[in-house]
Amino acid sequence: MKEVMAIIRQNKVNVTKAALAKAGIPSFTCRRVLGRGKKLIDLNMFLAITDSEEASSTQLGEHLTESYRLIPKRIFTTIVEDDQVELVVNTIMDVNSTGNPGDGKIFVLPILENYRIRDGQATTEVY
Amino acid sequence: MVLVRAIIRPEKVGIVLSELLAAGFPAVTKMDVYGRGKQKGVKVGEVYYDEIPKEMLLMVVEDKDKDDVIRIIMKYARTGEEGRFGDGRIFVSPVEEAYTISSRKKGL
Repeated sequence: MKEVMAIIRQNKVNVTKAALAKAGIPSFTCRRVLGRGKKLIDLNMFLAITDSEEASSTQLGEHLTESYRLIPKRIFTTIVEDDQVELVVNTIMDVNSTGNPGDGKIFVLPILENYRIRDGQATTEVY
Repeated sequence: MVLVRAIIRPEKVGIVLSELLAAGFPAVTKMDVYGRGKQKGVKVGEVYYDEIPKEMLLMVVEDKDKDDVIRIIMKYARTGEEGRFGDGRIFVSPVEEAYTISSRKKGL
């Protein structure tokens, strides 16, 4: 069993849900989170812009501090069998990729045990 | 790669995030959580408060960066020099694969 954890855009939850259901993965958990990525600021580029007076340093200062605010995202987790991981990852990537930074990340983590609360049964199967 | 899950005090989030950024770890996800620890919550008078608001930080980092990240969180999420009950916990779990959605590339 594997846990597929995808951090995606807020407005992509519905299409992701639909695409996964179509691919035969109906179960998932979704949470509202805040986060930031690793887009780094190139200071030399900003210095060049201020030197050429295309923008004032106050404007740039505001932009710099703004860009490290936490951005609202949705974290989408689903537990699947080992052989379904590739399918799930590809399905999520297909519907979520807009080609821009900020589309999100997908992580795959191992899951050791799985219990059904209804009857207390330990299973090695996802469903 | 490892997933570092840190449950810390909400008032410490700001300093921890800015120190992580300064140390070169910008990527982080934050969520609001409620929970209790080994001390069974906080007792005020006769009442136990066992759903204490905390913030959970999620970070996926390379194995070699793990110790740095943990050291930074540990240093700045602590209350005072000694630390207090309720400062939180850090859990580390393995991550097998990572993908960037926009570029479809594997890896961090």
